[in-house]
Amino acid sequence: MAGLVPAIRSGTRAPMTAPPLLAIHGLSKVFGDIPVVDRVDLTVAQGEIVMIIGPSGAGKSTLLRCVNRIEIPTTGEIVIDGTNMAGEKRNGHLVPDKPTATARKRRHIGMVFQRFNLFAHLSALDNVAIGPRRVLGMKPAEARALAAEQLNRVRMTEHAAKRPAQLSGGQQQRVAIARAMAMKPVLMLFDEPTSALDPELVGEVLEVIRALAQDGMTMLVVTHEMQFAREVGTRILFMDSGRVLEDATPATFFTQPTHPRSREFLRRIHVPVPAC
Amino acid sequence: MPDFDWGVIWYAAPYMLQGAVVTLEISICALILATVVGIVCGLVSVSDMKIAKALVRAYVYFVRGTPALVQIFLVYFALPRFGLEFTPFWSAVVALAFNSGGFVSEIVRAGLQSIDAGQTEAALSIGMTNRQSILFILLPQSLRRITPPLTNEVITLVKSSSLLSVISITELTRSAQVIIAERFTPFELYAELAVYYLVIISVLAWFSEFVEKKLA
Repeated sequence: MAGLVPAIRSGTRAPMTAPPLLAIHGLSKVFGDIPVVDRVDLTVAQGEIVMIIGPSGAGKSTLLRCVNRIEIPTTGEIVIDGTNMAGEKRNGHLVPDKPTATARKRRHIGMVFQRFNLFAHLSALDNVAIGPRRVLGMKPAEARALAAEQLNRVRMTEHAAKRPAQLSGGQQQRVAIARAMAMKPVLMLFDEPTSALDPELVGEVLEVIRALAQDGMTMLVVTHEMQFAREVGTRILFMDSGRVLEDATPATFFTQPTHPRSREFLRRIHVPVPAC
Repeated sequence: MPDFDWGVIWYAAPYMLQGAVVTLEISICALILATVVGIVCGLVSVSDMKIAKALVRAYVYFVRGTPALVQIFLVYFALPRFGLEFTPFWSAVVALAFNSGGFVSEIVRAGLQSIDAGQTEAALSIGMTNRQSILFILLPQSLRRITPPLTNEVITLVKSSSLLSVISITELTRSAQVIIAERFTPFELYAELAVYYLVIISVLAWFSEFVEKKLA
């Protein structure tokens, strides 16, 4: 996986001038008096796989939900692929988007939820097809063909006609990934994609995410699967109390964590930490 | 049962059948109107249209807080003052729909709000607008949940139509009253009236059960 980023850097675009795919500046989200996300800055280049880890309540999921404005940030700026997610800049002033403009900007940011959130009244196929059909305005046949193709990618073709309630958690999550991928996202957000799964179903979902990573998809993954984070991630973000405390390669993070709190976190989840 | 006059039962039957037809006609028209009003108002109450939402709230507040009988009189006597001349039939339909629409609105709102927030989040995450998520995701899922309370509302509506006898609509109840005034046999005719309503409502309940199973 470590080869991915250099491969892109050695491509046609010069590494220094290429704008980042995702740029977050001074992002905070305050609930009541509590800053759940606290002044986060983050720049993600195309093809990076950023694993966000940390104790529960650290603000990982909230950070992720702010990226596609499912959660409205209190302050800060998020720019994806050159597009400011909050509105348009005119004469240095930000003109906030109308809800329909926000919806339009969300189209190409995929999101996968902890609890799958498949549309309960639709078959697996229609769950994947409804976005292309209703949001992108494809013809029904075209949308269904695209959906079938995406279901095939997550090896769910034989279950295409089933409702979510008839599928296992792992199968539901794979359909949810296909649903997000059908929108041809430039960025995928995974919010603890395996946390609600029975242990024996975790592997099949991680495998699908791994395959997306190999295809070069840029992603932000909030996860508690340390082995997976270490193998698939190109970058580890450690968060606690709303702050990003460490931002390092997996090799560095898991062998030489610098921040006392990341050291303590790793120790608590039984990852051996070498002495400083 | 002493002195039960079976003769008047048979005498009243065809006349009351005509009344029952009027009751059904008014109820069906009012039901259609109330459903449209109720769904629109219900959708508005979960949308982000602030002014429209406040208007719907005021409407529901009024409908819930005043008796149906008062609402019927109000609509019947108020409409002409605003230059709206309706026939008694359509005044009756408007009055019933006005009442029922408020309750249907609350049923639809509750049905939409009972759907897990994750469904809306997923809809938004694939780029749906608020309106699309309500229309394509929330509304279809709430249909099955709102069928039982909606059946109750339809039954209430049919029964409320008996109040229309006060504005000289010869629906089922009034048709019985007309014959009572003629024959002075209130017990027999009110008993017959009750049977008529029971039959109508039983058919409705059976139909709703059928719809609920279809939606399952």
